[in-house]
Amino acid sequence: MPRQVSDGDAPLRPHSGARQPVWDLPVRLVHWLLAALIAFSWWSVHNDHTDWHIWSGCAILTLLIFRLLWGFAGSSTARWSSFVRGPASVFAHLRGRWNGIGHTPLGALSVVAIFFALAVQVGLGLVAEDEDGLYTGPLYRLVSIDTSDKARDFHELWFNVILGLILLHIAAILFYRFRGKKLTMPMITGRAVLTPGTRPMRPGRWWAALICSAIALGVTRWVIAGAPPLSPP
Amino acid sequence: MRILQFVFASVGMLVVATAGTSAVSGARAEQVMHERHEGMETIGKAFKALHREFDSSSPSVPTVKAFAAQIANLAKRSSGWFPAGTGPDVGKTGAKPEIWQSPQDFAAKLTAFQKAALVFNAAAAGGDMNAAKARYADLGGTCKACHDKYRTEMHH
Repeated sequence: MPRQVSDGDAPLRPHSGARQPVWDLPVRLVHWLLAALIAFSWWSVHNDHTDWHIWSGCAILTLLIFRLLWGFAGSSTARWSSFVRGPASVFAHLRGRWNGIGHTPLGALSVVAIFFALAVQVGLGLVAEDEDGLYTGPLYRLVSIDTSDKARDFHELWFNVILGLILLHIAAILFYRFRGKKLTMPMITGRAVLTPGTRPMRPGRWWAALICSAIALGVTRWVIAGAPPLSPP
Repeated sequence: MRILQFVFASVGMLVVATAGTSAVSGARAEQVMHERHEGMETIGKAFKALHREFDSSSPSVPTVKAFAAQIANLAKRSSGWFPAGTGPDVGKTGAKPEIWQSPQDFAAKLTAFQKAALVFNAAAAGGDMNAAKARYADLGGTCKACHDKYRTEMHH
């Protein structure tokens, strides 16, 4: 039986056990900021801080625009093209025939659903106004008073859709946890132990992240200004 | 919590009733609650319309004047909108039982609103839209001060 010998200062375990990058920093930042801002949005609007709620929504808008762009310019696991797949992949995944890193074909559906639901929610919030006419979304002047009021009602109802998706997301994480796969730590550290032979994440470029951020901030500023010249004078 | 609120409301109403404030019941209570709801909704609609006017680069002076007068008029009538016996235990309303538990604070906030409505109306009548906008913001502050404390989230 061969004796295990330390190879320099490398640990006495196979190289396949080393943690490899799977999520880049922007993906992780967007994820945790979204989680925090959604919680804050909920809390602030139920505690008479509608002004903070609106700012929080604008921050979420920035994150969504950034994430949309990063899905074209980011690391391999951040790209829409790498995880949005057809039903055939989803079924193969369900039968256990999927091996890769990043979002699983089924998880990708969840990502797209959450992204879409948040986009709808932000869109409604942008044109909504509160019950008293004290607070307004930055684009409320693009629509009538009636539409603004209806947008608020739908905004309130639509949160249940988001809540449902969040619960499903957490349930899926717990499900994997019971099956021995921990998903939370990789979303914090960005690294995970990969099955041998899996190609790790190909990182994105820092300047691409910078450009995406600049565009996201620029578009948000324009929206906050009432999207000139779309708003009436 | 709901039961506690109900108990507090009942005790509060008893205190108010025995203190001599004219409590209402039955059809009269329904009538007051209906008038209150309609009045608040009208004030809200006026406020929303004014928000749009003041956010535009050239607010319509006649529109601002008309809505300011409407709010001032309804504000005057709001003194009669909160008699004891018109709380959530009687019918569907956004009015919290706390209104009748701390009648002095509530009355002070209602008075602040009525004063601000008059001041805003006077500013609007003066025709200076910048001054009117500032008084409009003050008026909004009095709406919020009361609603944060004494109104539940309403669902139509």
